Amino acid sequence: MTQVTLENVSKSFNETVVISDFNLAIENKEFVVLVGPSGCGKTTTLRMIAGLEQASGGVIRFGERDVTGLRPGKRNCAMVFQNYALYPHMTVAQNITYGMRVRGAPEAEVKEALANAARILDLEPYLDRLPKKLSGGQRQRVAIGRALVRKPDVYLFDEPLSNLDAKLRIEMRVEIRDLHRRLGTTIVYVTHDQVEAMTMADRVVVMNEGRIEQAADPITLYREPANLFVAGFIGAPSMNFLPGAISQGTFTGADGCSFPIPPQRLASGTDCAKAVCGVRPEHILAEASGPAKVKQKVKVVEPLGPHTLQVGMVGDVQFTAQVPAARKVSPDDVVELGLDLDELHFFDAATGKVLPKGS
Amino acid sequence: MRIGSAAQFGPVARGFVIGGVLAWAFVTLFPFYWTFVTSFKNLRIIVGGPTYFPFIDFQPSVHGWVELFTGVRGNMFKNLANSTIVGVSAAVVATLFGTMAAYALARYRFRVPLLAGLAFAVIAIGGYVALTELGMGRFGAISLAFAVALATSIVLGNLKLPGPLLGNEDIIFWFISQRMFPPIVSAFALFLLYSEFGKAGFKMTDTYLGLTLCYVAFSLPIVVWLMRDFFEALPPEVEEAAIVDDVPVWRIFLQIVLPMVMPGLAATFMITLAFVWNEYLFALFLTNTQWQTLPILVASQISQRGDEWWALSTAALTAIVPMMLVVWLLGRLMRSGLMLGSIK
Repeated sequence: MTQVTLENVSKSFNETVVISDFNLAIENKEFVVLVGPSGCGKTTTLRMIAGLEQASGGVIRFGERDVTGLRPGKRNCAMVFQNYALYPHMTVAQNITYGMRVRGAPEAEVKEALANAARILDLEPYLDRLPKKLSGGQRQRVAIGRALVRKPDVYLFDEPLSNLDAKLRIEMRVEIRDLHRRLGTTIVYVTHDQVEAMTMADRVVVMNEGRIEQAADPITLYREPANLFVAGFIGAPSMNFLPGAISQGTFTGADGCSFPIPPQRLASGTDCAKAVCGVRPEHILAEASGPAKVKQKVKVVEPLGPHTLQVGMVGDVQFTAQVPAARKVSPDDVVELGLDLDELHFFDAATGKVLPKGS
Repeated sequence: MRIGSAAQFGPVARGFVIGGVLAWAFVTLFPFYWTFVTSFKNLRIIVGGPTYFPFIDFQPSVHGWVELFTGVRGNMFKNLANSTIVGVSAAVVATLFGTMAAYALARYRFRVPLLAGLAFAVIAIGGYVALTELGMGRFGAISLAFAVALATSIVLGNLKLPGPLLGNEDIIFWFISQRMFPPIVSAFALFLLYSEFGKAGFKMTDTYLGLTLCYVAFSLPIVVWLMRDFFEALPPEVEEAAIVDDVPVWRIFLQIVLPMVMPGLAATFMITLAFVWNEYLFALFLTNTQWQTLPILVASQISQRGDEWWALSTAALTAIVPMMLVVWLLGRLMRSGLMLGSIK
């Protein structure tokens, strides 16, 4: 129940810089998800907050408390690991209460905390079992129970659902989200799964190569990606990128398409010789009636039920379109697709940054 | 983990596998059986050619066992007690300290300047030579030189010295290197060292302390080497979970890490105990009457009155059976699967 502030935090292993000049202010009771491809530094950042890695530079604060040099045990955070990390020789009850007993908590308090955690996490029937007698989801709930009784200032989750199967993952996602609502604590959560990030977070921090690409609430990330990386990372299937040029308010694609850009999508007078037009598969129009049209050579058709994905090429780039399920398309067809002008994103290909929007 | 079962082989392949296993079982078990039946033979039966089945092709006699237990051929009970006391203490001490060292080497990063190690060697050896040249007694000289060398190298080890740094792998190699030369190389040196201790008033040869310390020193490298592998196989997250939970390091080691490596610990203890139990060379050099161990007793059966195979067999069995008991007792601890459920 506290803010977590990272100021100019950096981390290097020997000569390799993993994190440089990292700044993030996590609000009290906020659920923040760090997301990014593997090796982007998200787990290292989490481990620095926990104290399992020492920051090479910068300051980490819990509330007003500077914890940068503090050892992990003194920071009062609780961590849940990807592989659960339960004590294999202890029962569920012992696993949950071990930390409290070590810290010398009175027996009555220990009992109450255990009962409370077991009730919240539906672990009551399993308290006397060893971890090896539990399913993956139950094990992860024990790990969360161990974190609960710590009554920490901040919860840290390191890819806690990655080892679970898809169905259980969706259930646990809801459980953790609900737990956050009930406990009202600060949570920092690391995942490589953008769907997990989008569905759980109050705020998503997209990381790449040790830097923050964008930190915003899920809808803003989706609707207003700040750069090509975020645009491509958030959303499934990924956004399509058409290379081209912008001149006098008109986009001319490398594949030959050309259309005027609505003024609210691009500030007037913005010219860019090497630009990228981004359009999400779900923003392909059912009827290619407007001025923005591309020709797609279809390679694969993926019927998903509610709609169909049409994967193919536009010019030299891969292009995926989401079309109504009823549409009949076969591989090797060349089809004309309309783009929703109000949902287009324009980026500078050289910097990767989004081009300024008009009002 | 089950890789496959015998059922997946065809009948012919299965026959080969079973035949091979039985053949190997015969190779390993027959000497044991031979020792056992020989212990019930007397001179007349033995010189009369090989016989295999008691009561069928020879009439067993228990005189070998009577001689053993009545002490006609050396005090078996005393040697058995010596072997047990020295073996268990050396194995316990070596496993205890070796395990702690191995944990440190598995979980913490050490950086020792090579210069600090060199300084130790130069001061220890040079100091000893110089001090004895100056007329100091050998015992005093070696104690002083060693103490100064140790203190200096500890101080130097914490300084930023130029030159290469030795890491954990180098420390492990240094441990293992102590077992790379034949033990006889150090046996003489150790005997001379113990004699010097004796002259200075600390009797080390033929004492409990002397023999145990020697065995601890020789078992430590194996313990460190084996246990480090067991520790490195543990997922660090389990310990990290405890660290975040503010559990002190010693409790993590004793209450979380040790239970997780219990099979490895039992196996390592077993190997150490077996090494000390069977050790002959150092026992021969460093003991004479008070602290003789079982291997010495077994070997002495040959030298006294020619080859008396029944006596040798009874002594050998006396040495084998306790170890079989220990294996049986510790075997259940060695079963793997303790880690199940901790991580995915």
